[in-house]
Amino acid sequence: MKQRFKGQGVIAGIGVGKILRANENLDEYLKSYIPSFVEEEREKVDKALKDVQEYLFTRAEALRRDGLTEQGAILEAHAMIVADPVMRENVLSKIDATGNSLRAVLNAAEDQAAVFESMEDEYFRARAVDFRDVGKRIARAIIGAPEREIGDEPVILCGHEIEPSYIANLKKGQIAGILLGAGSTTAHAVIIAKAQAIPAIVGAEEAVAAILDGEEALMDGETGEIITGPTDEERAAYEEKARKAAAMKAHYIKLKDLPSVTEDGRKVILAANIGVPGDMETAIEYGAEGVGLFRTEFLFMGRESLPGEEEQFAAYKDVAEKAKGKLTIIRTMDIGGDKPLSYLEIPKEDNPFLGYRALRVSLKRRDLFLPQLKAALRAGLYGKVAIMFPMIISVQEFLRAKEFVEEAKKELTKEKKEFKDTPLGIMVETPAAAMTAGSLAKYADFFSIGSNDLVQYTLAVDRSNSEISHLYNHFHPAVLKLVQQTIGAAKEHGIMAGMCGEMASDPRAAVLLLAMGIDELSMSAPSIPEVKERVRSVTMDEAKELLRKALSFEDGESVKNYLEGQI
Amino acid sequence: MTKKTFVIDNNTGIHARPASLFVQAAAKFKSKVEITAKGRTIDAKSIIMVMGMGLVKGTEVTISAEGPDEKTAVKDLVALVLSFKENDKE
Repeated sequence: MKQRFKGQGVIAGIGVGKILRANENLDEYLKSYIPSFVEEEREKVDKALKDVQEYLFTRAEALRRDGLTEQGAILEAHAMIVADPVMRENVLSKIDATGNSLRAVLNAAEDQAAVFESMEDEYFRARAVDFRDVGKRIARAIIGAPEREIGDEPVILCGHEIEPSYIANLKKGQIAGILLGAGSTTAHAVIIAKAQAIPAIVGAEEAVAAILDGEEALMDGETGEIITGPTDEERAAYEEKARKAAAMKAHYIKLKDLPSVTEDGRKVILAANIGVPGDMETAIEYGAEGVGLFRTEFLFMGRESLPGEEEQFAAYKDVAEKAKGKLTIIRTMDIGGDKPLSYLEIPKEDNPFLGYRALRVSLKRRDLFLPQLKAALRAGLYGKVAIMFPMIISVQEFLRAKEFVEEAKKELTKEKKEFKDTPLGIMVETPAAAMTAGSLAKYADFFSIGSNDLVQYTLAVDRSNSEISHLYNHFHPAVLKLVQQTIGAAKEHGIMAGMCGEMASDPRAAVLLLAMGIDELSMSAPSIPEVKERVRSVTMDEAKELLRKALSFEDGESVKNYLEGQI
Repeated sequence: MTKKTFVIDNNTGIHARPASLFVQAAAKFKSKVEITAKGRTIDAKSIIMVMGMGLVKGTEVTISAEGPDEKTAVKDLVALVLSFKENDKE
């Protein structure tokens, strides 16, 4: 049946295939199973454990030989669980209680799964599925149920969670996509999808509830869109998208090691925005030159108390080292009332984006700000680190932040901890900062324009509001003027001007920014090749001409349309 | 008996795949090998027990061994756990 769903795209790419529901329900078997004598039930368990163990070890090795090391490792862990005497003891003790080998195996596995589900750590919680999967596998061996026939066609795996044995039964390249109902990005399925660049969508509970086994489906791992029972046109469109994406990727990989310079030799640094240290892998893969925005919020989320200096130091050091001498800009905490954290004590606000947030909180909370600054200063020894402050509207705020940095240095000296002086910059994301860029530039070591918030605050448009999101446009003349003025002020005072935000990842905008004099563009890593290609295709004279023309329009839509026609 | 206490430092802790590597390594020694953490002591050669300890980053653990190859066992197993740090991808 034709339906459309939406989830959260986590691994980009197009998937076209038949849905394979990837968790099995053994209730029917359980109902019709008639146990024999206890002794016989025990023997059945021993035989099943032995068979499953052998099967899993053999499969694990075969997967490894095929180069599918992640799957191999998971199946090997499963084999070891089956081989563990603790498993056998648990099951046998349940047989004594129930007299039913099938129920004993499933109950023993469920008990174990429950232990993991109650754990606090996300990785460990995600292991519950491993035990359920192992339990079902042994149960299937007891009743002699055959392995499911899957065939050779491409499949989209779909389930609230995906049982690893399904993944392991598929041939190399057969998984066209993964649709996960749960929101976890630490599930095995997502780890495997990442390693093999299989498109994946998580948090698609609605889709998972409605989609049937064997249905034909299309999915876009970037937008999170899922279509079942597609029309011929939709299928053709997705297949075309998939072909283009594959060709694009091959093309972009070639671009990876080419310099980001215009045709006439003007250089612009293309850096990555990252959210967690693990993002560095993708950043490097796409040829990022350093980190233009390291969002540090992950350190503060999902916990009950402030992160300490050591924990933050470990994360910053990790990224600084991986950046291998390229600039790494650490942005201090940028949280406000929209993401309430109990320990921050931010009351509910009517206007969290105009409220007590980001630097405004840091400046009032020494217990939060000093450990973060100390950690960043210490990380400076391991790479080229810079610190950037968000939500600035005045020179005074920046000077206050600088005083905190001085205090952090004093404390470090007193504690005999080594550190390195790092450049201090301003994230220009309020119209106030952009308008007074000339003053701010006298004190700051660099600017990075945070275009997302700058556009939102300048146009008074919340783009997550679907009624008005069409009004959000970074080509609006007001935005272009503020950006130009900010870059101009930086140039005048001889400091670096960068941009982090979606505007930086728009190849059409990149050309205008080049003409304005931008030094660095920072974006989500997969956007780098496309921007690089555009940069390499123009000369500065052409860019300046495009800018002159773009600034002559009276509305953002016209600018957009004009630039669209110029690529 | 030989033992050593240290802190788990890799991001994901000792969940499924690291646990399977650890248990395979532990099984190679003749000595009885145990892990003590959070006030419990378990058999280090059982993957179910090792995973069930919930050894997340920051947990303090003691690896102890008793038997003919106890010194090598503790040394190698501690080194193995510390090496997980280098594989941090996430």
